[in-house]
Amino acid sequence: MRPTKYLVAGLAAATALALAACSGGGQSATTGGSSSGKANPNATLNVGLVLEPTDLNVRTTSGVALDQVLIDNVYQGLVGLDPSGKIVDVLAKSHTVSTDGLDYTFDLKSGVTFSDGTELTAQDVAWSINQVKSNPKYVGNLQLADVSSITATDDDTVDIKLSKPNAELLYNLAGRAGLVLEQGATNDLATSAIGTGPYKLTSWKQGDSITFERNSSYWGPKAKVAKVVWHYYTQQSAAVNAAVSGDLQVVTPVDPTLKSKLDNQNGFTLTTGASTDKYVLAFNSKKAPLNDIRVRKAIREAIDPKAVIAANGGAGVPLGGPIPKSDPGYEDLTSIDSYNPDDAKKLLKEAGKDKLTLTLTLPNIYGTATSDVLVSELGKVGITLKVNSVEFTTWLNQVFTNKNYDLSLVDHSEAHDFSSWATPGYYFNYDNPKVDELYAQALASTKPGEESQKLAQAAKLVSEDAPADWLYNWTPITAIKSGVKGFPTDGANSRINLADLEVTE
Amino acid sequence: MIRFLLTRIALLVVGLAVASILIFFTLRVLPGDVAQVIGGTQASPAQVAAIRTELGLDRPIWQQYGDWIGGLVRLDLGRSLITHTPVADELGQKLQVTLPLAGLSLLFGLVIGVPLGVVSALRHRKVSGFLLSGAAQAVAAVPVVFAGVLLIVVFALTLKALPTQGFPLDGWREPGRALQALILPALTIALVEGAVILRFTRSAALEALGQDYVRTAASKGMTTTRALITHGLPNVLLSVVSVIGIQIAGLIVGAVIVEALFQLPGVGRMLVSDVGNRDFTKVQSELLVLTALILVVGTAVDITHRLIDPRERERA
Repeated sequence: MRPTKYLVAGLAAATALALAACSGGGQSATTGGSSSGKANPNATLNVGLVLEPTDLNVRTTSGVALDQVLIDNVYQGLVGLDPSGKIVDVLAKSHTVSTDGLDYTFDLKSGVTFSDGTELTAQDVAWSINQVKSNPKYVGNLQLADVSSITATDDDTVDIKLSKPNAELLYNLAGRAGLVLEQGATNDLATSAIGTGPYKLTSWKQGDSITFERNSSYWGPKAKVAKVVWHYYTQQSAAVNAAVSGDLQVVTPVDPTLKSKLDNQNGFTLTTGASTDKYVLAFNSKKAPLNDIRVRKAIREAIDPKAVIAANGGAGVPLGGPIPKSDPGYEDLTSIDSYNPDDAKKLLKEAGKDKLTLTLTLPNIYGTATSDVLVSELGKVGITLKVNSVEFTTWLNQVFTNKNYDLSLVDHSEAHDFSSWATPGYYFNYDNPKVDELYAQALASTKPGEESQKLAQAAKLVSEDAPADWLYNWTPITAIKSGVKGFPTDGANSRINLADLEVTE
Repeated sequence: MIRFLLTRIALLVVGLAVASILIFFTLRVLPGDVAQVIGGTQASPAQVAAIRTELGLDRPIWQQYGDWIGGLVRLDLGRSLITHTPVADELGQKLQVTLPLAGLSLLFGLVIGVPLGVVSALRHRKVSGFLLSGAAQAVAAVPVVFAGVLLIVVFALTLKALPTQGFPLDGWREPGRALQALILPALTIALVEGAVILRFTRSAALEALGQDYVRTAASKGMTTTRALITHGLPNVLLSVVSVIGIQIAGLIVGAVIVEALFQLPGVGRMLVSDVGNRDFTKVQSELLVLTALILVVGTAVDITHRLIDPRERERA
């Protein structure tokens, strides 16, 4: 193993030198990128990421940090998502849904094996989904609430029956709830992973890196690189330095304030990708003075989303409501309570609250760029904003669990998460029975397009009630070195599917 | 001597016991718990409560403390609340980075501090000596982070001589690269620590210069430098040894900061993320092991001090 590693490192260094030499000549960096180099099957790709998972257990540990690397690459489900977010068959050869939306039948592909060589059976699939369904502590358990039974009807068919239709079922099966694990495996899920994907996880150095190697017995087209190492950086500048010095070929996300160090330099290209990350400035609607809708609307009108986005290096697009562009039910709601500080002052005066002091509680991982803008924007309409920057765990305790806050700012990164606005007990403290009803109808819809339509109606109602200001939808930047192809940039902060990855010399 | 040793060891045990209480109870003052971290922003309160019960976090706090101490007595550091793997395994792995880092920093610090300290004492009436001690004052006040960034810019990014960050995946199985990875971080700590050692050495050397035995030696025809080195140095080194005892805590704190800066997978970075995750069974054992290390080194320095100083030996 080691000689190859040195060879690869040597080649990478040589390429870097060559590129550095070329970049002096202006245009030639692109020449390096489009070189007729062949895909190198022995390549190692080093990726710099920010958010490290606390452990590897996809059943009990929530959060996108695990989804980002493990889903698609190591663990797979019956269905998955294509780059545009559409449902595609993965372990299923095909699937059918009954017209009443209550019966889903999946035909399995044959010849699928787990990375330890064991053959996948319909039993494994049914067992996996049943585990999530029956254990309330498992991530995805609530998403299967409408499922009444999961059975392997024969060796290559799995049948899922529902007690009532659920338009999100396939989407949910494409995520955590539908991941297929091996029933007979005895490995420790917290520190290792056995799945059916094109890569196998070979090591996890907590606080440092996760290493994948090609699963050479993969049932589909084999991975085109030998190894992928995910390096976790607590400091963005360290990741950028590592990329500059040639240790990393991909960095995602790149801190916008540092992007000039990588943009078109050292052979890197920066790409802005879509995400479902919504920076939600939540208002505690049950607490005075925020229980007055005029105050909430005034805050929204006082904030210029363009100023917030600019402060964050331009890495975002305005978002007027709870649903981002790539999710069902999106429509442009930015005209609701749009930037209008004069009207904001008027509303505050009407409410008798022209001198207000409010506290913003936010996790310290977000830095101060956004909160600085909010302090100045709200200051202009007579609101004194105190910023209480706390550890994420403290935020979970004070805001999320105890709902003890005025304003809160958090990035809600999950896709298809409108349900939080239809869950009155959620920390938003938002409760509108009409929204709950529309959401229930959206879930129960069986006709195509009906779900999106109901969700759009519900989202509009939510935005009009102003329980929050959706500051912006993040558009993370990914830096990719020339010679690296097939690294996804859309949704890279929630799922990085490396099926098409290749590295040329 | 025996009595002295016994007192030192008894003090060590009492120190550890007090530390265990402080560590355990101050951690519990922090808001939030690991169950909330595991559940994240998608879990219902019922799910979080179920996780809490499963992890035993709802039991009385004195009972949890008793479990921990009971384990420690059997030399069991416990398991992580998140990964359920033994704390000792991971701590052992991370110490392979942090201990060599601290050792190397101390070595560099001594190499920089002691000779320069002696030189600056010998030239204390000259401009060069004045400049040297002034520079040491200034460097000792430099934050470690700043020193680190400066070194990265000079050695790694400009000269491209050393890695900017990271540690080889295979660790010490690639000794050359592992050592290279530690040089800049160790220099970062050593710059600041070395300046402190320099100042201590300088004042100890100045004191020695004023002693009768050095002056006598000088009056018998030795140069001042020679007299200081042959007769004064043992006394100077003695005070350097006691400074090391005090500075060992500083070295470990320095390592925590420097590991974040250089992306080294050591104890410091592990502690920061474990506190963030409220993985208390892990944090408390890690902190106690570090405290034990500092106390043991302190005691060892104390004993060494007594062994090498003939005046102390006689008194005992």
